[in-house]
Amino acid sequence: MVLSATTDGGQRSIRRNGSFGYVVPALLLIAFFFIIPVLMLLMRSVLEPTPGLQNYQELLGSTTYLRVFLNTFTVAGLVTVVAVVIGFPVAWLLAIMPDKWSRLVMAIIVLSMWTNLLARTYAWMVLLQRTGVVNKMLISLGIIDKPLALVNNLVGVTIGMTYIMLPFVILPLIGILKSIDPAILRAAALCGANKRQCFTRVLLPLSLPGIASGALMVFVMSLGYYVTPALLGGTSNMMLAELVAQFVQSLVNWGMGGAAALVLLLVTMVLYAIQLKFLNPNRVR
Amino acid sequence: MTQPFLSIRGIRKTYGQVTAVKNVSLDVAQGEFMTFLGPSGSGKSTTLYILAGFQDPTDGDILLNGQSLLSTPSHKRNIGMVFQRYTLFPHLTVGENVAFPLRIRRVGQAEIAERVKKALKLVRLEGFEDRKPALMSGGQQQRVALARALVYNPPVLLMDEPLSALDKKLREEIQFEIRRIHQETGVTILYVTHDQEEALRLSDRIAVFSQGEIDQIGTGPELYANPATHFVAGFIGDSNFINAEILSSADGKAKLSLPGGTVIDGVPMHAGKAGGKSASLLLRPERLSLSSTQVGNGLAVTINDITFLGNNIEVSTLTGSGESLSVRLPFGHEAISSISRGDQAWLSFEPKSTHAFA
Repeated sequence: MVLSATTDGGQRSIRRNGSFGYVVPALLLIAFFFIIPVLMLLMRSVLEPTPGLQNYQELLGSTTYLRVFLNTFTVAGLVTVVAVVIGFPVAWLLAIMPDKWSRLVMAIIVLSMWTNLLARTYAWMVLLQRTGVVNKMLISLGIIDKPLALVNNLVGVTIGMTYIMLPFVILPLIGILKSIDPAILRAAALCGANKRQCFTRVLLPLSLPGIASGALMVFVMSLGYYVTPALLGGTSNMMLAELVAQFVQSLVNWGMGGAAALVLLLVTMVLYAIQLKFLNPNRVR
Repeated sequence: MTQPFLSIRGIRKTYGQVTAVKNVSLDVAQGEFMTFLGPSGSGKSTTLYILAGFQDPTDGDILLNGQSLLSTPSHKRNIGMVFQRYTLFPHLTVGENVAFPLRIRRVGQAEIAERVKKALKLVRLEGFEDRKPALMSGGQQQRVALARALVYNPPVLLMDEPLSALDKKLREEIQFEIRRIHQETGVTILYVTHDQEEALRLSDRIAVFSQGEIDQIGTGPELYANPATHFVAGFIGDSNFINAEILSSADGKAKLSLPGGTVIDGVPMHAGKAGGKSASLLLRPERLSLSSTQVGNGLAVTINDITFLGNNIEVSTLTGSGESLSVRLPFGHEAISSISRGDQAWLSFEPKSTHAFA
């Protein structure tokens, strides 16, 4: 008895040590290239040029920078809403389609995600410019007389980013929608619910966890997005990531850059905490 | 002639080349418990789904109180339904689930509370209002589903194998509850099942479905004592079939020659393809007598196996031509003590108690 107990204990501790050993490289990577740099940035944001919170004061106190925050949250919010609104029907279609077809459509969506981000963003520049395909089509259809300004402003940024973010809404939603038994919707119909009521009272509440996790992912990714706003946005409508880049690259002001980056990180973490608290997918519904 | 309460007239449903329902017609009286009994793929569920409005028939009509239902969408049919799978809304509590049809109908708060309470009392789940469906057993969930389907007093309640996911003991318990609820509410019920015992226990009348058609409609005893087709005879109750040769037939009675050479007369004959020479003879296991010597009409058999089944004993026998027949004897029957495996014995029966299907 004693012997077997020791052996068991020994094996367990070996297993524990062994599994811990395997995570060391990844933990070291995260520590050296994420946690330590973030801490250093935090230090610089409160130490440069002189110790104190003056960087944060300037960042949150000046209307110029508040505009950048406003731009960032407006675009991220718009992208999230539009991506959810147009992504939901696609996810629903994919969930109820025969497998053969849904796999094909999924492949197209995933392929678009794998295509180089710069290439896709430049493609939008071409499509949206004054003489681009979109404007030409709208004019030839008689919907507009003069070309619309679709790039170098927040409209362009929103369009380009919505397109890039769509898969992040669609993919988690498909799983949730597939798990909803169609018989539940039939039951709702026999209870007297018309199509709209079936949607608002049954389907939507049941898919809310999927919508929330997709929306949060898109919102957080949008807040810190750099490439698309930099290429499709104008210089006058800066977003937060561009501001950080400008502070660090053009102005070599690490203090302000660090402060802006940390405000962004803080917002992200707060949103994540909210999601964990209210929309934990593992919680019994 | 009075107009039937619910009338299904010549329903046909095809999916491309496949015919799910061939030609189904039946009338249901108000307050009746009618069961659609049949194997899977016999068209019983499709017929029910057409009644619910989830599918449109290719042909035919459904009349409720003389009015066609077909142009009314599901959500306006005011029909109740309990499904095979658990269909409670998982994001709502039990009380909210039962209240759902009333909320949709914009019933007042106070009345909703009262009717929900009454409906939950009917299914014996008082006090479960605030429970979430996920925390309830399968049997409880189906009872809530029943309450939700009855709370708006539908004229017709459809039930699509509601107990098939439950274990046997629980199933019998809820069958009893369904019977009680039917008697208390007087609602007209159309019930789909593949379980003959369930059908016999619950129904006023049973419609036996086979390959998209109704073979026979009748009460349980009628179907058992006087099956119209070979399929019904085989589906309701236990049955043996042996092949026999038709010597002559007239006025629904036939004279048959059995494999051993015995000739029996006066067997009720059920029409099939006219002019056939051979027939299938139905012998109910409990209508057969077993003896060690030859008495009356019957067959020489060899005892193959004897199985004790509690209140009765099943003796499986083989005829000379190799057909197996089972005999059911009450426990303590005198024949049991005198026979053992491998013995020769004589099976006898009343020709009147059998049925021949051409």
